[in-house]
Amino acid sequence: MRLGRYELTLEPRPAVSAVYTVLTAVVAILLALALSSFLFLSADASLLGAYRAVFSYAFFNPRGILATVQRAIYLLFCTYAFLVPLRAGLWNIGLPGQVFAGALAAFAVPFVLRAQEAQTLALAPGLLILLMVAAAAAAGAMLGGFAGLLRARLQVNEILVTMMLNSILFWLVAYMIKEGGPFMGATAEGEGFTLPAPLTAPLLRGVPFTAALALGAAVLLDLLFAKTALGYRIRAFGENPAAARYGGISPVALSLLVFLLGGAFAGLAGYHAFTAVPGVYKIPGNYGFYGDLAFYGIISALIARGSAVGAVPIAVLFAGLSLGARFAQGALHLPFGVDYALLGLLMMTFIASHALYQFRLAWRRVPSEVLQPAPTELPEG
Amino acid sequence: MWDLLARSLGASTIFLFAALGELVNQRSGVLNVGLEGLMLFGGTAAFITAQTTGSYPLGFLAGLTIGGLLGLAHGFFSITLRGDQVVSGMGLWILSFGLTTYLGSAYTGPLGLARIPSLMGLSPFFLVGVALVAITWLLIFRTSLGLAIRSAGENPAAAEASGISVVAIRYLCVTVGGVLAGLSGATYTLSYNPVWNYNFLMGWGFVSLALVFFSMWNPWILLAGASLFGIMWQLSLSPELVLPGVLSRYVWRTVPFAITIPILVVISTPWFRTRWGLAKPEALGRPYAKG
Repeated sequence: MRLGRYELTLEPRPAVSAVYTVLTAVVAILLALALSSFLFLSADASLLGAYRAVFSYAFFNPRGILATVQRAIYLLFCTYAFLVPLRAGLWNIGLPGQVFAGALAAFAVPFVLRAQEAQTLALAPGLLILLMVAAAAAAGAMLGGFAGLLRARLQVNEILVTMMLNSILFWLVAYMIKEGGPFMGATAEGEGFTLPAPLTAPLLRGVPFTAALALGAAVLLDLLFAKTALGYRIRAFGENPAAARYGGISPVALSLLVFLLGGAFAGLAGYHAFTAVPGVYKIPGNYGFYGDLAFYGIISALIARGSAVGAVPIAVLFAGLSLGARFAQGALHLPFGVDYALLGLLMMTFIASHALYQFRLAWRRVPSEVLQPAPTELPEG
Repeated sequence: MWDLLARSLGASTIFLFAALGELVNQRSGVLNVGLEGLMLFGGTAAFITAQTTGSYPLGFLAGLTIGGLLGLAHGFFSITLRGDQVVSGMGLWILSFGLTTYLGSAYTGPLGLARIPSLMGLSPFFLVGVALVAITWLLIFRTSLGLAIRSAGENPAAAEASGISVVAIRYLCVTVGGVLAGLSGATYTLSYNPVWNYNFLMGWGFVSLALVFFSMWNPWILLAGASLFGIMWQLSLSPELVLPGVLSRYVWRTVPFAITIPILVVISTPWFRTRWGLAKPEALGRPYAKG
């Protein structure tokens, strides 16, 4: 576009500094929060009061803080599940399916070992809990690995396959816990059986051990990508698959690996959500909500631009926001789904910030010879 | 039996509209994986408009408009900004999923208008769909505009050299694709199942996207595929009509999704690709930079 003697163009940004990366993330989040003001227009309280309700519940209320931590752990696992394949340029949107697979596998351990009642535990509770964690991670990894394998061997679109698996697992969970399904609870119909108390995840000051796993994984993942040969291969493959192949990197093994790893993290998210959060300890009837929530993992991985440690504060913030929004919804008589709307707004501002991240608006002075007015008189001679 | 078939073709229509739009999109070289989002937003806008005004035409108009606008948004990101089309498509989907849940929640429940009349149980929209298939086929394979669309999707640089504006063609196609996705969503919420619920589609859009790949980018094969999936979908909803008492109804619900995966695998095998798969637009998903 030309304005007078200047030309306005979109140019790709050559190199992006770390400060700028953080800045775009912060701006995207702040902009989404600003846009969410529109959601609060119908509220009983003032705009400021609405924000105060969201934040004071999520970060300053003792019960709210604990809930925020629990949810942040869940979102972090979901974030890694999306982030690892993304570093290889692949899209794992199968988070809900892998979460459900992890949950089913975790509950299959006490079910198969007939340990649904505390009195009949066949093995030490610690060992059973370990088995449940391993089963959940393995189930998630298998589901993810299936999509990864198809992608690796036959170039089958991973978005479609993982999305189909989401729907399949959604209905399989319904089959397992509803209408007389194998995992149906003894009392309430439409819910899974409740885990006996010794098999619930041990808590330290109300925080389950999965918190340590989630934080440890953040550090390990960033080290993997920054310092190891494998991490380098994954990144190289993600940035330019063709060049990576010429460089001797096997696309098959890598695609499979990132999906196995990603799926395992989503499986752990499923373990955490249904066996480690006090007050849940079963697959609830509204399990679909946890699947929807998993999509916050996508947006936090995208905004963190692939940094697992960077995703930690983002996941904590999103956990608090989604919980606080639910709380404010009840307290201020807002329509249902403020937390969903926030998810959508974040996605919108991310795309906008992504454009600014990749491109810059450049003002250039148009060279004067281009602008020279056409000669009005015939040159002499 | 006829009732079941008619109802199945009603379901097919939803797949057909959305997939046909995506086919036009992809023929011009633009991939929109956020199809489901466009359908959700279009369907929700149509439902809310029709319920508040009591008018079906206004409802459809709203659905088509929203779909077209979202298609344009995808176009702006992927054509003008030359961004990653998967990022933009996924973004539109999650955006629509989140916002429609909030915007529509007050309207949860039945539409409450007299049903759109059917032809002996058959949705009139199915006939519209068949007509659109014929029109699309004629447009793509028998007109110079269609040639321009196909060349923009196969080799945009060559198309540009022969005097075609790739940017204009692609913008046209993403808008048409968006409008058809909006039509698909509106047909769902106003005719096929006029009850609003959050995330009412639950995967219809992604099945439609898969159908485009199955169709080898040919509208007639798309019609056959959409009809087949419509029948399968309807049977998965009421399996007792065929196999009463066999397996839980929840297990049946997984069938259309479970069948999609092996079909995707088959069409991705080297054997199928070399024999049939040449129809895939060469420049699909790749941004085009002029000059």
